[in-house]
Amino acid sequence: MEIFQGLIDGFGIALGANNLLFAFLGALLGTAIGVLPGLGPAGTISLLLPVVYQMGSSTTTVIFLAGIYYGSMYGGSTTSILLNLPGEAASVITTLDGYQMAQKGRAGAALSIAAIGSFIAGTIGVIGLTFIAPPLAEFALSFGPPEYFSLTLVGLVLAVFLSGSSVSKGLLTLALGMILASVGLDPITGKLRFTFASVGLQSGFDFTTLAMGIFGLGEIFYNLEQSDVMGTVTTKIGRLFPTASEWVQSRWAILRGSIMGFVVGILPGGGGVLGSLASYAVEQKLSKHPEEFGKGAIAGVAGPESANNAASTASFIPLLTLGIPSNSSIAMIFAALLIQGVTPGPFLIVEHPEVFWGVTASMYIGNVMLLILNLPLVGLWVQLLKVPFNILGPVVVLLTVIGVYSTSNDVFQVFVLIFFGVVGYFMRKFRFEPGPLPMAFVLAPMIENSVRQSLLMSRGSLGIFVERPISAVLLGVFAIMVISQLVKALRSRKRSAAI
Amino acid sequence: MKRFHKAMGVALTAALLLAGCGGAKKEATPPAGNTTTPAPAAQAKAWAPEKPVTMIVPYSAGGSTDVLARVVEKVWSKHVSVPLTVVNKPGASGWEGRDTVAKAKPDGYTMFMGYGSGEDLIAPQLRTATFDPIKDFTPISLLSAHSVLFVVPADSPYKTMQELMAASKTKPVNAALSGVGNLMDISVRALAKAAGAEITGVPFAGGGPATTAMVGGQVDVGPGHPSELMPHVKGGRLRILATATPERDPSLPDVPTLKELGINFTNPGSLKGVAMPKGTPAEIVKFYEDTFKKISEDPDFKKGMADAFQPVIYKNSADFGALIKSTFDTYTQMIKDLNITVK
Repeated sequence: MEIFQGLIDGFGIALGANNLLFAFLGALLGTAIGVLPGLGPAGTISLLLPVVYQMGSSTTTVIFLAGIYYGSMYGGSTTSILLNLPGEAASVITTLDGYQMAQKGRAGAALSIAAIGSFIAGTIGVIGLTFIAPPLAEFALSFGPPEYFSLTLVGLVLAVFLSGSSVSKGLLTLALGMILASVGLDPITGKLRFTFASVGLQSGFDFTTLAMGIFGLGEIFYNLEQSDVMGTVTTKIGRLFPTASEWVQSRWAILRGSIMGFVVGILPGGGGVLGSLASYAVEQKLSKHPEEFGKGAIAGVAGPESANNAASTASFIPLLTLGIPSNSSIAMIFAALLIQGVTPGPFLIVEHPEVFWGVTASMYIGNVMLLILNLPLVGLWVQLLKVPFNILGPVVVLLTVIGVYSTSNDVFQVFVLIFFGVVGYFMRKFRFEPGPLPMAFVLAPMIENSVRQSLLMSRGSLGIFVERPISAVLLGVFAIMVISQLVKALRSRKRSAAI
Repeated sequence: MKRFHKAMGVALTAALLLAGCGGAKKEATPPAGNTTTPAPAAQAKAWAPEKPVTMIVPYSAGGSTDVLARVVEKVWSKHVSVPLTVVNKPGASGWEGRDTVAKAKPDGYTMFMGYGSGEDLIAPQLRTATFDPIKDFTPISLLSAHSVLFVVPADSPYKTMQELMAASKTKPVNAALSGVGNLMDISVRALAKAAGAEITGVPFAGGGPATTAMVGGQVDVGPGHPSELMPHVKGGRLRILATATPERDPSLPDVPTLKELGINFTNPGSLKGVAMPKGTPAEIVKFYEDTFKKISEDPDFKKGMADAFQPVIYKNSADFGALIKSTFDTYTQMIKDLNITVK
């Protein structure tokens, strides 16, 4: 078959010395920036573009840049688990159970399962890319504003699953996240909202600053209050690898997460967040011990980590099959290809098969490299936890402040970071789970934009959401989820009233 | 001992936070090692940069302006001894990056790409900007102009612009816009008025998502720049109906102009030039003027621009400045005619 021939040619290209080297460098660099808070793959790719022009071959260019991109997904989970510092939206979910596992001495298992899950997910993603990319890309194109609205609405309900024991507190947190998201420029009319005449707030709050503040700084501020934490962070470092029972709990989570992440990751702009969120919610629902979630359930790390890695691989599909970039990192790869004379689009596979197949084959190799890179490092990372809190804490503060300042060059953002740290502190003090806040923060603008775009398209008719099949199905899912939650709540209230 | 540890922890944390907040008077300068050295005092000899130069692109990556900056970046080292750093600073619909440059020091190390776009000449006339688009900048050179093309999805039933305009009188017609109050927004309104049609503009978060909506058939028509649309036209997913330029585009000889089709709307396109903060000394302006002239004549640059579907149009500082002012006035008139307000 053509596909196998293309794949064989692709491996021939990807296994060339130059391409192997750059795949490795990309993966290494990607992991490094994933671990460091602040600089993300988009910023790094932007800085490296002048370098890649010297590479000569556009295949090598994409191999290198792609390696940075999916490598950063591997690295992002490291800080989430060890330091409660999510690097990007998709890693937020990993902090919920991953950090708890680290607190209980299971950091090694969490890191390993994240690496293994990411490897499996990445490989599944590349297989999907190889065989079913074109029809999936067409499917992605049929997602217009009404479909995005319905999908993100489902995402919002899923975010409620992150609220831990008190759903009402979770809803409050969700609402707070939505309010914070509305600060800034209104995307449809261009008016300023809640900016109080501050230039720094004109673009609204930056997600990374918010996440690092609420999770990272908030945790540190809260810990400062506890006098017994000053000695060490964890009492013991357990086994570095997951136990057999943990592995059994995780393997289906990995599979399910990979598929969910892959499907959602194809959608331009949607991607990683929704995939991880959906995976977490599904795993919680299917788990035999749902009460463990939020306290260190390994499936809560395995599923979402797999989802966000599958999503990052899937986000290459629109680029390679249709020439549509899904996010800013991929947009820069798009620009790099364009100015080297390779026009991304449906004919890329025909006009430049060496680029398409070379990159695809390189992704298989890249995933293997990342696994080999990350698994041995688990032992090293875990040693970090032996550092006593009164040194580790300020170091984390230093890293987050540097991370925020270096990407924004604006001291105002450091103040914003501290503000969110204080918010995170109070949330922990009053036992509010922080998870729903960043989720709502990411989803709310998408919901708002898509509903307003949809209503413009339909001239104000709400029918557009149910007339289009995909949107109708998603709204149906939303309705079912909300109704089932209500029924459950009513039933348990009836039961406790009857007692 | 425990209390001492606690105090140490608090003190260290507080110290680090305060250190991060210190130096708050520093203005936002891009991360290219820009320290605040004053402009060289030697007026007699020609100026040349001694440390890396930063070019800000006030849009996110992958858009037509970003691509233009990347092509410049590609050939930069052949003409200038110091490196160029391209920094994307999207935000506030293209104003955040511009605001950064408006408030930067006019020392020849900070510039932005994209001067002359709708965000400079149109949007500030609709809402208050934090900078004055004419007074706060020194125009350096024009490098390109991104014309406005009108495209439809490949499977659209409309074969010509007239069919589309006629259909709009009976059915709702949607157009994808890359933003609010920018050139695309105005073009759609002007087109609708000139053709007596009714088109609703649906704003998207930039050229990328808007193009995706067009390719996906989510909208009926869309204005866009060749750089963003041509890959899809070549790929057979989009069809061009017309161009808004006064004359036919030489790279697209089969595309009629709106004027030819009897629709009285022309627009030379979004001017894409380089600008520096106001008060930039004349010898710095001269250096960059000459540099960009050499870049615009560089064959690698021309090839890169051709691959990116962007024309190379060079103007020096004085001509560019004059063009900016006259284009600004044209838009003032257009805004009045079209009765556009941001409520």
